[in-house]
Amino acid sequence: MPVGRVGWRTRFEGTGGASVSDLKLNRKQLFAAGAGLALAGYGISGCTVERPLDRSAAGDIVEPKIDGDLLIFNWAQYMDPALKKEFGEKYGVKVSEVNFDNLEAMVTKLRAGGKYDLIFPSSEYVKRLKNEQLIRQFDRAEVPNAATLSPYYDSPWYDPNSEFSLPYAYYTTGIAWRTDQVTGMTESWNDMSNESAFGRIFMLDDFQEGIGQANLINGFYLNTEKSDELEVSKETLLEQKKGLRGFSTNTAQNLVSGAAAITQAWNGDVVNARNQVDDPSMFAYETCKEGVPVGTDSMAIPITAKSPGTALLFMNWMLKPENAFRNVMWNGYPQPVAGGREAFAKLVKDDPSIDVNLDELSNTSMEFRLENPDARREWTRLWTEVKA
Amino acid sequence: MNASRFWNWFVYPGALWIALLFAVPLFLVLALSFGHVDDLGRGVYGFQLTNYADVFNATYVPVLLRSVGYALITVILCLGIGYPAAYFIARFGGKYRYALVAALVIPFFVNYLVRTYAWVALLADEGLINNAIVDLGLTQAPIQMINTPFAVIGGLVYGYIIFMILPLYVSIERMDPSIVEAGKDLYGSPFQTFIHVTLPATQPGILAGSVLVFLPTVGDFVSAQLLGGPDTYMVGNLIQDQFFAASDWPFGSALTVVMMLFLAVWMVLYLRRATRGEAEVL
Repeated sequence: MPVGRVGWRTRFEGTGGASVSDLKLNRKQLFAAGAGLALAGYGISGCTVERPLDRSAAGDIVEPKIDGDLLIFNWAQYMDPALKKEFGEKYGVKVSEVNFDNLEAMVTKLRAGGKYDLIFPSSEYVKRLKNEQLIRQFDRAEVPNAATLSPYYDSPWYDPNSEFSLPYAYYTTGIAWRTDQVTGMTESWNDMSNESAFGRIFMLDDFQEGIGQANLINGFYLNTEKSDELEVSKETLLEQKKGLRGFSTNTAQNLVSGAAAITQAWNGDVVNARNQVDDPSMFAYETCKEGVPVGTDSMAIPITAKSPGTALLFMNWMLKPENAFRNVMWNGYPQPVAGGREAFAKLVKDDPSIDVNLDELSNTSMEFRLENPDARREWTRLWTEVKA
Repeated sequence: MNASRFWNWFVYPGALWIALLFAVPLFLVLALSFGHVDDLGRGVYGFQLTNYADVFNATYVPVLLRSVGYALITVILCLGIGYPAAYFIARFGGKYRYALVAALVIPFFVNYLVRTYAWVALLADEGLINNAIVDLGLTQAPIQMINTPFAVIGGLVYGYIIFMILPLYVSIERMDPSIVEAGKDLYGSPFQTFIHVTLPATQPGILAGSVLVFLPTVGDFVSAQLLGGPDTYMVGNLIQDQFFAASDWPFGSALTVVMMLFLAVWMVLYLRRATRGEAEVL
């Protein structure tokens, strides 16, 4: 019998309980265990963490037909719940939704094999997911309501010929505030440290939005990859952090609950917040003169989708003019399709600040994109250091 | 087959369970901590030390100190609140003892996350407490309670205090009341008796409770995430962000390994102490 086992036994019986010193391994055993661990480590080195996904569907074109219940993976409070319900009633399927609060988390869950049918990535994420074969191709002609989309989306930079994604909404990033509590707003990113709101300011918990506005304050390119410039922006962020109450993407909730006096925000969230209070004039929104980040959130079908056909039908459903109209009135974000445009024009008439100029979208220098993986790592590390 | 051999077979399902769901994942975390991130942002296993070099970056030292600091304060508060509660129930609970313990345990059937959300609703600027004090005219404007270190520590105390009270209760209940009487017979004041008799007699409970509260508190991220502000970032938040916001699993794994080693040191010290205590009793 091996020596170690005797040790275990006698001690076990001796004291009536295990203790650290019970774990007596002799040198040989310790060495064997270490070698075993190292060997196993060598065996898996070079492998990625996620088990490989079944990508066999990657080449197939999705057919628009009901093939099961729909599971939507989206930002919170981004879609009129009534539209989901009506789709479910019309086609006799169950429509459910789960939420993410940042795009990296969305991708992480997708890679881990999460079986979602419809996701809402921003432009650069569409490109990344497409390159990684994580989203499925479809025939745009099978989505009749896509016909009225703005021509820009016929072949955007991130998805030539629009075979993998259709636009859901586009947006600007600016600053929202409580008109009854804040004075001295100047249409500048420096308002993120407005003194009248010190300690009650929120920054979006998104590494690109956070670092991006600091780059703009310093007059750098939005997506700069220069380390010395990023160092300067880090200092700007640390200075801004002193006046912050938190990092969060739950903008509407922070405004309505009164926690935020000022918050970095996407334009639609201020409409969403106004929809929840009696006096909509208590919230205002501005875009900043140093630069206005713009972007598009798209709809796409993950490779892991169980009901890709239902998802494609749902995309068509959301682009239907009357549905687009209702959705825009509900979430406050412009949708570049018939119905969506009219609804947004109505919202803009009340508040010109939330407007988005489509021409800005073709100016890709104001859209977040970090295609160099090293730069991406540098940005995420910098953001971690700011939050630490 | 003799009886003892038969019963030994019952060890295997449990051992298998531990091996599959504890040892293997732990090994994967360890292996990944030596890995790197590929160009698509996925973690890849490997053999390099860069992640560990990054962990000992001066930026993260305050985060570690803050976490340990919050955890120590939480332990002290749990002890301060938990000891009288456990003492009262164990010594004066009488026939209601078990009912009182059950009353303490029942709230903990509710998920920690949900209970922390309840604190958000209580402490928010327009939450229950602020609305009440503003309505009563005690203050003009609401007091900021949420997004502060106080809220985070409060959340931690509430979240983990049961792990303090239960071991304390057991050790106080086990204590022979006659030794307290003996202390009094020897003309000890109530305070002296407590310091020289009760406290040493219940020391194992204090130690166990402190360790049980300290360990999970250091690594907690829920309280800081929901109740904290920009300056309450804890190690748990740092690790969670590496996995879900920064897509840097190898760095997150290295942070996890370092934290586990740090906590293991305390665990070993405690176990040593506890075994010695047991030996003395024997």
